[in-house]
Formats: sequence, C-alpha cells, structure tokens
Amino acid sequence: MNWTSKILAIPWLMITGMLILVIIGTMALYSASDGVWTSSVQQHLLRSAIGFLLASFIAFIPINWIFRASFIMWAFIVCLLTVIPFIGVGAGATRWINLGFMNFQPSEPAKIAVILFLARYLSLRTFDQIDKLIIYLPAVFIVAIPTLLVLRQPDLGTGLMIFVGGIAVIFVSGVPKRYVFLGIGTFAASIPIIWGQLYDYQKARLLTFLNPEKDVLGAGWQITQSKIALGSGGLFGKGYLQGSQSQLDYLPEKQTDFVFTLIGEEFGFVGSMTIIFIYFLIILSITGIGLRAKNRFTRLVASGLAMVVFLYVFINIAMVTGVLPVVGAPLPLISYGGTAMLTTFLILGICINLSLNIVKEDIEIS
Amino acid sequence: MAKKRKEIQEVSNQISRRMLLVGGLQVVFGLILVGRLYQLQILDSDSYLKLSEKNQFDHRLVIAPRGRILDSKNRLLAGNSEVFELVVIPARTKDLKKLLYNIDAIIGLSGEDINRIIEIAKNQPDFLGISIKSNLTQRELSHLAIRSAVLEGVLFQKNFNRIYPQGKLLSHVTGYVSGITESEVKKNRQLQRLVGLKTGKSGLEKSLDESLRGIVGKERIEVNSRGKPVSFISDRLPKQGNDHQLTIDIDIQSYAVHRLKLGNSEQVELAKSSVQEAINKDAALRAHINIGETMILRDANSRYVPPETGAVVIMDIHTGAIVAMASSPAYDPNLFAGRLTNRAWHNLNKHPRVPLLNRVIAGLYSPGSTFKMVVYAAALEAGVISSDTSYTCRGFFEFGDRNFYCWQEKGHGTVNGRQAISQSCDVYFYQIALKTGIDRIQNMAIRMGLGVMTDVGIPGEKLGIMPNRAWKKNNRGTVWTPGETVIAGIGQGFVLTTPIQLAVMTARLANGKKAVKARLLADLIKNSEDFLPLNINSTVLREIQRSMRSVVSSTRGTARRYELDGYGMAGKTGTVQVKRISKIEREEGIIENIDRRWKDRDHALFVGYAPYDKPKYAISVIVEHGGSGSSMAAPIARDILKFALERLKI
Repeated sequence: MNWTSKILAIPWLMITGMLILVIIGTMALYSASDGVWTSSVQQHLLRSAIGFLLASFIAFIPINWIFRASFIMWAFIVCLLTVIPFIGVGAGATRWINLGFMNFQPSEPAKIAVILFLARYLSLRTFDQIDKLIIYLPAVFIVAIPTLLVLRQPDLGTGLMIFVGGIAVIFVSGVPKRYVFLGIGTFAASIPIIWGQLYDYQKARLLTFLNPEKDVLGAGWQITQSKIALGSGGLFGKGYLQGSQSQLDYLPEKQTDFVFTLIGEEFGFVGSMTIIFIYFLIILSITGIGLRAKNRFTRLVASGLAMVVFLYVFINIAMVTGVLPVVGAPLPLISYGGTAMLTTFLILGICINLSLNIVKEDIEIS
Repeated sequence: MAKKRKEIQEVSNQISRRMLLVGGLQVVFGLILVGRLYQLQILDSDSYLKLSEKNQFDHRLVIAPRGRILDSKNRLLAGNSEVFELVVIPARTKDLKKLLYNIDAIIGLSGEDINRIIEIAKNQPDFLGISIKSNLTQRELSHLAIRSAVLEGVLFQKNFNRIYPQGKLLSHVTGYVSGITESEVKKNRQLQRLVGLKTGKSGLEKSLDESLRGIVGKERIEVNSRGKPVSFISDRLPKQGNDHQLTIDIDIQSYAVHRLKLGNSEQVELAKSSVQEAINKDAALRAHINIGETMILRDANSRYVPPETGAVVIMDIHTGAIVAMASSPAYDPNLFAGRLTNRAWHNLNKHPRVPLLNRVIAGLYSPGSTFKMVVYAAALEAGVISSDTSYTCRGFFEFGDRNFYCWQEKGHGTVNGRQAISQSCDVYFYQIALKTGIDRIQNMAIRMGLGVMTDVGIPGEKLGIMPNRAWKKNNRGTVWTPGETVIAGIGQGFVLTTPIQLAVMTARLANGKKAVKARLLADLIKNSEDFLPLNINSTVLREIQRSMRSVVSSTRGTARRYELDGYGMAGKTGTVQVKRISKIEREEGIIENIDRRWKDRDHALFVGYAPYDKPKYAISVIVEHGGSGSSMAAPIARDILKFALERLKI
C-alpha cells in the first residue's frame, strides 16, 4: 500500500463521528454541572485527547503483533478477573483494580480481548474443520469463562456484552446452521439456571422493568423520571441548559448512565436522533472495514467490534427509554467515565490498524 | 486446488452474508429505539410535559437573603428584615376569585390587588405561586391562621423585605429593589419560580444585583394524595448574597445632603401655620411634601421655598474614595421595597425637579468658569502663553462681527493668568482659548477626566460632551467655528459635564501626579493597583494650584469671603447662565437673581480642594438655579470640606 491509499483507507468517517460525539458529550456534561465549567468537564476533554493519542499509537502497531498478543491478553485478563474478588475495590460490586492513578476495570478490555482471541482461533481453522462441532467447544470456552467471571462480580451489563460480542464472532465465522439452532436451544434451556444464579437486586431490576409504575419511588424512580425528561423534551427540546428535569436534579446519574436523557430533554427528538445516527455511522464504518477485508481475522474482529459498539449504544438508550431494565451501562464518548471511553478508543485504534491491512491475506497476518 | 479455491470463496461469501445479517439485526434493534423515542418524545410528549411541570412545582426554590450594603465604617445602608408573605397557588384552589374575596374579607385587599393577582394567574403556569400580600402584620397573620381551613391553596412564606435605614440620604447611591419584571423573567425563566423575589432596579442594587442576590436554595416538597405539602426536604440551603462596603461615610453624607438643601436660606418649622398655609397655596412646595420632604426654607425675600436642587460630591484626592455624594431632591428607596402605590409613583415620576435622577452622575451641566483651569493648563502646556502673559479686559472681547462680554461689565483691566482665574475674567480666557485651539483644550479636558465615564459603578452614568473639531463634524455635520472656541474658553457652548467629572478633575489638579479615578466600593480601594500618571508638567500644575488658591486668598478673588480657616482652601467658582438676560430686562434693571423666576436663575458651581498645603479632599458643588457660584456654591463647598476634615481628627 502506498501512502495515498493508506490515508484513504483510514476510517475518517468513524474518527469524525467520534470527535463530534466527544464534543456533544462535553456540552452535555457542562449542562449537567449546572452550566459551570467543572473539573469533570475538563477531565472528559482531557481523556478524549489521551484516547485519540492511544488510538493513533495502536493504529501503527504491526497487525501480526496484535494477532499474536491476543492469547496473552485474553489469558491475562482472565487471570485478573479471577483474582479481582480478592484484590479489587468497589462499593457493592467488585469491578475495579486500583492502579494508584486510576481505577481499572478489567471487564472492559475483556470485551476486546475475547473478540481478538476468538478471531485468531477461528481464522486459523481450515475449511474442512468448520463443519465439525468439536472445534466450537474451545470457542465457547473463550467466551464463557470471562462472561461468567464478570457476571459473578456482579455486572450484568458488561457480562452480557462480552457474551453477545463473542457469539456474534462465532456466528459470523460460518458455523453451520444446525449448530446455530443447537446453540439457541441450549441457551433457552439454561435460562432458568441463569435466573437462579442472579443476585436479588438483579432480579428486582428485571421485575421492576416489567412493571415500573408499580414501584415509582424505588427502583422504578430513575426510569420514570428519565421517561418524563425525554418525553417533555418533545420535538426540539427545552433548549440548552434549560432542561428542568436535569437541572432540578430529578434525573439520577445525569452525568453518566443517563446523559442521553439530558440531551433528549434539552434537544428533543431531533437531538436524540442525531446521536443515534452518528453512532450508526460509526458502527457502519466498522462493519464496512470487515466487508472489504480480504482476511478472515479482520472480518471477524470487525464484526465483533461493531457488535460491542452497537451493544453499548443499544443497552444504554434502551435502558434510559425503559425498553430494557436499568443495568448500569454508559454511553461511550458522551458519558462521564474513563473506562468505556478507553475501550472505544481502543476499538478505534484497532479499526484504523485493520483498515490499513485489509489487502493482506490471513497467511501474512499470522 | 480449484476445489480448494471454490471452497474459500464459499466460506468468504458465507461470512459476508452473516455480517450483513448481523448488521441488519442491528438496524432492526436500532429502529426499535427510534420508534420508542418517537413514542416518548412526539406521541406522548404533552403528557410527559405536564408531569415534568408537576415535578417543578414539587421542587421549590428558596430565596436567599440579599447581601448588605455598608458604609466605610460598617454602618448599615441596605439590609433585610424578615416578613411573612401570603402566597396563593392557583393550581390548588377551585375558584381563585372567590378565594381572593374571602381573603379580602379577612385582611382587606384593594380591587387593584385582586385584579393584579387574577391577571398574573392568567399569564403563568398555575402551579407557580403568586404573592397576595407581603409584609403581613402579626394581626393579619393570626386572623388568617384561624380561618386557614376555608382558605384552600394559600400558604405563608417567610420572606425578606429590603430596608434602607438611612432613608432618603443615600437613595441615589444604593438605588432600590422591587419585584421582578416581565423582561427579567424572559431572560431567566427560573426567576418566575421565586415568589416574592426582589431585584435591584437602580443604583448599586442594580449593578451589584447578581452578587447581592446570593444563591437560591432548593427544597423538595413531599405532597400527600390531596396535594398538601407534608414535609420539606432541603436539598441545598440558600446562601446569603455578598456584603458590599462603600467608601461613603454616612455622617459626611448626611451633612452634605443637609447643607446642600439649605443653601443660603433658613430652615423653618413645618408645623407653623404660616408654613402650612404657604404649602396649601404653592404647588411647587406641595410637590416636595408629597415625596416626603420635611425641610422647608425661608429665603432672603422671606418667601417660603423648597430646599435647593443640585449635587455635591466629595472625594479623597489620593485614593479616589468618594466619601459623600448627594443629589437633591431625593426619594425614599424603602417605598419601592414594599408595594409602591400608583399615587406615590406618580408623585416621584412627575415631580418637576426629577427626584429619581442621580444628578451626580447623570446631571449634565455646562461647567462654566470651573472649566477655566483646563483652558489655562492647555494654554500653558502648549506654550502659547506664559504665566506672565497679560491681557486687558474692557468688559467685552470683539471677535469678528460680534462682542463677547465679560461678566464684569466695567472690565477687569490688565490681568495675568492667575488674576484672570482669581477674578474669573472671561475676556482673558476668550483670547487664550482662541490661541490654544479647541483640540488642545479638549485633549487637556479628557486627561482631567471631563467627558470621560468615571465608571464608578452606578448605572445610568452620562458621558457629557467634550467637543473638538472632529466631534462637531461627526455630530453636527458642520465645521467648528472660532467663535465656538471662544465660548468654550469659559466652559459654555457645547461643553457638558457631570458633577462627578468635575470632582475628578479637581482631584487630579490637587493630586498633581496621578490620574485619580472615582471609587465607590471599598474593595477597589484596598486592592486597586496604582493610578496612571497624570503626565502634566509640574510647573504648569503648580501655577494652576496657586491660581485656584488665589480665588479664595486674594483680595479680589471671587470666593474671598469663604476661606476655610485653619486649612486653607483652593477652588474655582462658576456661574452658568440658564436664560440670557434680555435687553429690556437689562434696561429695566431686573437682573438680581433672587427676583427672577426660579427656572430662569443661573446655576451656581464651585469646585475646590483642601487643605491647600496638604490636599486631602476635592469637592464639586452644583446648585441648580442657585444664583452665583461665589455666593451660593462656594460656602456650601467650604462647609462640607470643613465638616469632612474635622472628622479626620476624631
């Protein structure tokens, strides 16, 4: 690839979309801080800048390093997830490791590690092998081990994302249809078992979700207020810094998980559609890299990463609009919080890297 | 090998198909979100908007007590008193009109009040409270409390009333507060929810409003099924606004106000029957009584007259601190904090002597002869004359086809600059103004602070006019004429200044080194960096100062009768003609000021500073239609300077 085609190959649409989202996020955080330029607004901008630096660094690592490092990454994160109940910190749920300068949440990079390792494993299978059920057993383990470890923390949202992201990669890799149906059947049969494994508060959330009005002041409070805020925004919203729900502190977690609600209240249906549109452009450009790529590794990784971004957006917006129960999921690049943002920039870095190597064959990568 | 390639292609196609399938699923799920948002934000928007308004109503904002304004010795100039306010929330009443009639039967409301409340209720959301009556008395409170069962939807709210313990003394400086206006609500919708909030409408109350207002508290009200509040949870306590200390000394202020109003007359007892009789007959006197004036004077002709109208400002020549600024007539700011009746407002607003006007910063006057220092300094600096240059005054100056007269009909004879200042010879200044040119005079005036905003912090300050050739061209569209320079030489014509600008000029002349600026806030004095240098040659300044001294000290000085014993005063008188004396009047000899109608009399001005050797205070005095600067303004200035200087010894 010469320089011109390299520059053209870079997913500019994705980068632009992310930049706009970061700006929207900064504006939303400014509004959430009662229209005061607080340190958290500044932090948000600073972290995005670091994120872009990180992404440009990853973009230029030789792709076979990523390929080879995927197993070590996966294994390392599984180790961290295993020991986290003993060394981790966190109120209620133990999700973080204190690194001194920041709290690190291993379940976030786990999403990426699972996808990379799965893609490596599956892209190395020969074409004779993909019809055999036995080769999918290790794949299921690659997904299941971190998923279960995260669910035990407990973190339903992230666990679900690791699981669905992994399943998407396996599905795309070309599993024969009969195994797909087998998988669905097995999952359906295990739902009662999973229910038994859930914590009481997780069950309560799911039940509240089914009938939120029953418990308006308890767990249903957040979702009721969020719906009022979004609904009262109407078509064009109440105007920037004018959202009464948000500004009067009716909206819980307005800087983090419920930031979409704040935007929806102040900028209305037009505002919420804009956000969804930009995210879909980003997801589309990741999928586009996969569709154009010549090697299986890239195609599988792109499918997985597109799914991760999609899940972030879907779970968050579905949650604040009352389509899904409150599971505690951030809206990357807009919500205040470092780890989801870090993951998204990691994804950006990998996507740029992949897009620079789409003409390579699998042999060249491994 | 071909088979292998075909297989690879097949798997590749399979992967593409599945990617598209997953992508399609993502789009479908995305559309679910779009549909959900459409339902929430478009279809059900109205019902959610109602719910959100209900939330606002349940979330009350609590007004913070307003910050205080204090004088230089921490005496209260503006403060708060706690009052109870009766508030109605229309959403909680069935029939607002009936309720108001019920309340009227208990405490008595005016028809005006009832109409006002109904009008407000029509124009704002019904969950917002409306103040029915503020400042409830103990008696009213108890009467209402007994019948509270039949008064649905009303509540008592603790509130603050603004009080100005100094009454009329400082109304133009502090300004006043009153209820929020529609235009304020338009700018900030939150204000609508602060029932009973009062904001600054003039003076420092207006310019410092945001700082004085403090931070509103937030209170959550839990309501039972019938909408009655059952408990108040404080989310954020209100934070009292900031206090502000002024440079004003209320004692000096009080004396200055009194002395200015007194003029050269004698105060009489208001209760005297002859005074009452005069008030009944004289509409001008009545207008003063109607705005709360209690001072009535007897002038030299033994007529009963209202107090003098005018302005005084006295400031520290080193720090710029204004220790007193008086504008007469004044008003009582306490009137506005309560409910101002239409009648009281009419009395203030239609008063012929405009009590709402702060003459110190917004009264525009020709500086008259007080401008001569500027012309003299400009001429000396330009080198067109020296301090020895003399001219002969024969009572008029012939220029072109026109005579410009000196106030001294017989003429001053041959005078040098210092004598011309001391005796206020007009002819001398006509000539040196012509030699110097208007542009250089204007430049000097600007450096002295004339025609420049003092930005002392009170809203509504006027710039005045300090003309030059470019100004005339831009504003009148015509060329500047030399005749206009001639009359500018004695501070008349286009030149317009404010009393505070004249005080700043005097302070700079007395200081001699720094371009002192007027300051009203004590913080500015404490933290201010040094003033810019004045940049006027010290020998020129020395000559100006000596000339100003001779106005008081020389045997022919215009203020020779008003020496400030023990300190020594320097200054300059000014008498500004308001109405040209007609030829007939001149011939008939009715030229004594006191014999003319008040409106036709001359303005009296004096600027000065003291002590002469070690200057401390500069003052400017303007008495509207007060007669001559030397007989009216100079003694007022002398007495106020004396009072202020004496206080330094305490």
